[in-house]
Amino acid sequence: MAHFAKLGSNGKIIQVLTLNNDNMLNADGVEDETVGQQYLEQHNNWPAQMWIQTSYNTINNTHKDGGTALRGNYAGIGYTWDEDDNIFWPKKLHASWVKHIESASWKSPIGDAPALTEEQTSQNTAETHIWGYVWNEANTTWDLTDSKA
Amino acid sequence: MQKKVLTEQSLFYGDIDMPKGFEIDQEKLTNDILQSTFNSKEFPFSRTWDMLNTYMRDHINVEYNINLVNKSTWGNIYKPFETTIPLLNIDLVDLKNAPDFTMLYGVKVKNCFVRIHFDDNRRKGRSWDIELKNNMFIMFPSTNMYYITNNQKDSLNFVQTITYEYI
Repeated sequence: MAHFAKLGSNGKIIQVLTLNNDNMLNADGVEDETVGQQYLEQHNNWPAQMWIQTSYNTINNTHKDGGTALRGNYAGIGYTWDEDDNIFWPKKLHASWVKHIESASWKSPIGDAPALTEEQTSQNTAETHIWGYVWNEANTTWDLTDSKA
Repeated sequence: MQKKVLTEQSLFYGDIDMPKGFEIDQEKLTNDILQSTFNSKEFPFSRTWDMLNTYMRDHINVEYNINLVNKSTWGNIYKPFETTIPLLNIDLVDLKNAPDFTMLYGVKVKNCFVRIHFDDNRRKGRSWDIELKNNMFIMFPSTNMYYITNNQKDSLNFVQTITYEYI
């Protein structure tokens, strides 16, 4: 089963459809994205070039079964298609976050949240605390919080 | 001081911005409205109607996270200087089967105005007027009564209506 994202006029994904692999075989019997695009244009009344194939198993530029990642992420409704970087971008979580092309994900301007200390991790395991870092957009910092407090 | 919104009435409007070469075939819709009106038949399914319907459903979903399901569709022809009777697309004694939204689409219109009535708590009988132009849609809750006016003397106005339920 193949998956294709339907692009709106502003590059936003407005629908994701599945397509039987048999419907995207070319004359040589090889799967071809353009054949699938033509099929979708014919049956869904939307231009072929506005259907982009997406991989159900790709997230953060990694194929979860160890295969080849395709276009960064599995496209979802509301995602944005970035033709230049060949990536489907999810919605940005915070205004200050920036694109990280390698992982096809949004990162804070100061990087990932710091790792928890051993003590915090053990307290989480013991369920006496639930330590975690929460992004503070106003201060652009990672704030350590205990959601059990 | 805090605020809690208990209910809101959302009206959506804009143009149907189809990709080049895939525009809504207004001649086809006009013809289908004529045929269904004069033959008293159900509005026929067509490729161009499906394009309009799919556009609405896809875009309302992506922009406002409202998942629409079709209830009914029909077309109307309005004569020069005609104003409709008050229109309401719900049966007040059968709200369970009533549509949630009414969508009007300007198939071939000129000086076509829609007046949508609403209540603002104590302030009853308020209305909002908007001109429905060619290739434009207006969508509003089906519980709102509305009128359509053809405010010119030269031509008929063709309006497509689709009603939706949201899930």
